[in-house]
Parts: sequence; C-alpha cells; structure tokens
Amino acid sequence: MKNRTVVLLALLLGLIMFAGTGCGKRAVEAPADPAVEELTEEERARLEEERLKEEMRRQALEERRLQEERMERERDAVDAEARIQEAMEEITANRIHFAFDSYELTADARSTLQKISEHMKRFDELRLVIEGHTDERGTAEYNLALGERRARAAYEFLVLLGVSSDRLQIISYGEERPLVDESNESAWAKNRRADFKVLD
Amino acid sequence: MIKLRFFIFLSAIFLVVSLLPPGAGAQDSLHIDIFGPGEERINVFIAPPKDLQSEVLFDPELGSRIYDGLQSNLGLLPFLTRVDPGHILGGPGVEGVRGRDIDFRKFNLSRVDLLLTIGLEQHARGPGSVEIRAFEVFDQRMILGRAYDLQDMDQVPLMLRRFCAELMDYLTGSGDFFRSRLAFERKQNGNKDIWSVTPQGTDLTRLTDLRGITLSPAWSPDGSRIAFTLMRDDRHHLGIWDLEKGEEQVFSMPGNTVISPAFSPEGRLALSLDPMGRPDIYWLDGDYGVDETIMEHWAIDVSPSFDASGTKMAFASGRLGNPHIFVHDFDKGRVQRVSYEGRYNTNPSISPEGDFVAFTRQTPDGHRIFVADLETGREKQISFGPGNDEDPAFAPDGYFVAFSSNRSGDYRLYLTTRNGDEPRQIPTGEGNAKAPAWGLERDF
Repeated sequence: MKNRTVVLLALLLGLIMFAGTGCGKRAVEAPADPAVEELTEEERARLEEERLKEEMRRQALEERRLQEERMERERDAVDAEARIQEAMEEITANRIHFAFDSYELTADARSTLQKISEHMKRFDELRLVIEGHTDERGTAEYNLALGERRARAAYEFLVLLGVSSDRLQIISYGEERPLVDESNESAWAKNRRADFKVLD
Repeated sequence: MIKLRFFIFLSAIFLVVSLLPPGAGAQDSLHIDIFGPGEERINVFIAPPKDLQSEVLFDPELGSRIYDGLQSNLGLLPFLTRVDPGHILGGPGVEGVRGRDIDFRKFNLSRVDLLLTIGLEQHARGPGSVEIRAFEVFDQRMILGRAYDLQDMDQVPLMLRRFCAELMDYLTGSGDFFRSRLAFERKQNGNKDIWSVTPQGTDLTRLTDLRGITLSPAWSPDGSRIAFTLMRDDRHHLGIWDLEKGEEQVFSMPGNTVISPAFSPEGRLALSLDPMGRPDIYWLDGDYGVDETIMEHWAIDVSPSFDASGTKMAFASGRLGNPHIFVHDFDKGRVQRVSYEGRYNTNPSISPEGDFVAFTRQTPDGHRIFVADLETGREKQISFGPGNDEDPAFAPDGYFVAFSSNRSGDYRLYLTTRNGDEPRQIPTGEGNAKAPAWGLERDF
C-alpha cells in the first residue's frame, strides 16, 4: 500500500516536471513576469541575508576556535610559568648541611642536589648562585675559605649530575650571614650550610 | 688626617730637646726592654699643669685635657706604673716646669722614676703654647722636652701622641705604638665597613660606605692604602681604599673568593684566591692583577702575614686535615709548621722581627690568643677570654698585640702585649668591631 503510493507520487512528479519544462521554455520567451522578478529579488536578499549570517557564524566560530586555541596556549604558558616558579621555590627551599670544619656532602645533601639538578635540567633558563656558609665558631678568614669549599662541593656534584657549569656561580659568605643568629649547637648546625639562590 | 696639615709643630724653639745619648754613669736608668719578660716597671708621675705667665691657670680646660690625655696614653703602657698624687710627700705640685724649678728630692723619696711637667701659655688666638717635659728623677735630668703651638683644642690628642711617641722611643727604642693607626671592620645595620681609630682610642673615622660586607682590612706599608675583601652582588671583590683620594676602588678577581689580603714590606699585595678551584695564596701585581703563586696546595691556604724583612710569611692551612699555622721562608723555600696543639689554629700574625707568631687557637672555652716563639717552638697563651679572642695583630713595635673579643657580649677591639698584659678595650662605638690591622700614620 505504501509502495503503491510512493510509485504514484513519483509518476505524478514526473508528469509535473515534464509539463514544467514546457512551460519554462515558454517563460523564457515570454516577457518577464514582474511578480516573479520581485520574488527573486526578495529571495536574493534573503539568500544574501543568510549568507551574511552564515559568514558571521563562521567568523565567530573561527574567532572562538582561535580564542580557545589562544587560551589553551595561555593555559600551557601559565602552567610552564607556574611549574618554573614551583621549581625555583623548591630549589631555594632546599639547603644542604655540613659537619663542623667539613665540606663533605652527606647522603641527604647528595639527594637534595639530585633534586635540584632535575629542576635545572628541566628548565634550561635557570641559573644558580650556590652560597657557602659556616657557623660562627671558626674564625672569619678560614671560614670564608671553608664556605668556598662547601659551595664548591655542591657545585661539583651538580656538574657531575649534568648541570652545565656556566649556569652555576659560587659565593662564600663564611660566618657573615647566619641563618639563626644564636650561639648554640642547634643554631650552629643550621648555619653550616649551602643555600641556593636562583639568578634573575 | 687633614688636621696634620694644619698642625704647626714648633719643635724646640726655646727648649733644649734632649734626645742626646744619656751621659755615662746615668745611662739606661730609665730604659725598658719591651722584649724582656715584661716584669720591669717605671713609676711615673705627671705634675699638675702650670701656667707659664701667672700663678693661676688661664684656661683650666686645656690644662686638664692635656693632663688627662697624658694619663690615658701613658696608662696604656704596661711597664709604667702611675704614682698616686696623694703619695707625693710634700704635695704633687711643682714650682715651675723647668728642671731648676723642681724639687726632685720629694719625687725621689716618693719613688717616682719619671716626672712629667706641663706648661701652658695662653695666646690671643687659639688655645696657646704647650710645653711638655719628661725628667729622670734620680738624675734630675730632662730626657725630653717639646713645645707645641696649638691652633685648636682638637689638636690635643695628636700633640700628645707625638710627645708620647718620642717618650716611648726614649724608653723602649720604639714609639711606633703612638704613630700607628688601626683599621678594622665595624658592623652597622647589617653591613660591614672599614673604620679607623688610633690605638689610643682617638679619632674614630669611617673610611668606606659600600653597602656590602667588607672584611680583613690590611694597610700598605706606607700607610697610603687599605686592601680589604668586599662581598657584594653575589661576588667577592678586592677593595682598595686610597688615603689620598679618600675613596675606594673595587676590583674583580679570577675565581670566586677574595680572602685575607696582606701587604708585604715592599708594598706587594698577597691574598688568597681560588682560580684553580681551591683557596691558594697569590701575589698581585701593581695593577691588582694576579702575578704569581706563593702557596699552592689542594687544601685551604689563607691569612698571609709578612715580617718586616719580607723573608717570612705566616699563613693558615688546612693541609693537615684541620687548620694549623705555618711559616713559609722565602729564602730557604721551606714551610715550617708552627702549631701542633689543638685542632683549630688560625689568624696568624708574624712579628715584624720575624721571631714570633701570634695566632688564635680554639680551646674548649673559646678561641684564645697564643704566641709561638719560632726559635724555640715554645708557646705562650696571652689572652684568657671569656668568650672568643680572635684576630691577633702585632703592632709595628712587635710589642703590642691588638685583637678582637666578644668577652663583653659584642665583639670589641682590645690591646695587650706579647707578654699577655691586662687587655685594654679600644673605644670603637656601637656595633661589632673585628679584624684590627696596624698601619703607620702618614706625615705624622
């Protein structure tokens, strides 16, 4: 039943198309119908309108895509910035400690330096100042030399771990900049150290 | 320093300045061997100032400043004992300031060996003329007489230093203690700068203003420059303060450290640098560039100190595992170990004669100053705390030793002698004072 209807409709459509073709030829030959012409104008305007709308949407979509891409890029950049900031904070929060009159790196110090070297390798742009410090118990000039030995021990270990030496700088402060300005065992232990400062 | 230029020194216009060798028979009665065991004493008395024109002192302030200043200066000399005015039989006064006006017998009876008189003559402008004389009481003989024309009261300390320098020349053979000036580090507001003061505690002067940490000042032998370490901008620098210019220059050095500059007697600058990756001692050339190595070793080598002949250099080294004191003999090309006791011996200062080294040893009670005799190897402890006694520095006379100590809580400068005489604090004001370095005053 449904099939018969489809076939009938198709035949009908065929007849109409045939008749239409005949009419079309006549229409071309006949003078232009103002009503048809008017309709075409309207249609053209509508199409134009639609074209403009489409163009606007396309442009908007493009804009949005670009914006999203840009935002994505910005998001990436913020992450990198945040990550480097985090790395810098981690580097500077670390310090390594030494025994009295010693510049030997302890196991703790070596693992700290390992962490610092990872950050340094991840972010090529980072440059470090390694500050060597001593407690107040020695005397100033020898302590300046000892601070140098401490900073250099850290420097040499970082170079061994693959950090380029031109990204590292050493300074000894000797006993001039204690972390804890007190005179007791606990303060001295804290003051015998190497600090890491990221260069701008 | 500028004062010196304005100071008119009228040496002996009308006084017989007697620095002639003492007459036979009386000689050596008032001479002190400062290199002896330090047990000799001279009793000294300063008579109240006299006005040369009237019975009453025209300007009592000038008189008392000179009197107090002399007392204070001579009080720094451990071999002088001050005689109490109340102990002078017949009263402390003198009829006049000249030998013929002095009743020496009463001073002799009161066991005074050395008598000083002060005469004043008021001028219309300025404080006036001052005459200071020193007499050997036993021989009733003037050993030193000087007249000074003061333009300003501020010149009193300089006048007294000059007089005392000559008096000490006479008594001991070297008055350089009064011709010297100390440079030192002074901490204020987190920074350290170089200051100077006379060993007598006068003329405290700020020399640098570098907004960093300046350490280890060292005078050039001619007193024209002070070398020091400057820490600033994450680096060590060599600082040179120039007396003529009144300002400093800053030099970069190879390596990362600039430690313990010291001038040789010829004016060459030595210091510890680490261009080889370890602190070694180098000579610098005249333009403050690296010249040659003095002491190269895998261990720490710092704190060079030269004797007056320039043949010996004391230094501290970690070559034995802990810091110890060594002396390098340039002529023999040999390094002599000086300290054997203790585990932390630093801060060497060799005496000008090259026969003693003063240094700091860490003891269970804190750092103490020791003096080692290079001939015999014997040591003598010359400071006893409490707290930490550090940075010993031999004076140019080889007798006085300046050092820093936190015995009062904060670090201050002190004076003692190679014999370990009672330490005297040198006033340096507020803020930690460390690292005293002796220099001879220019144009003194």
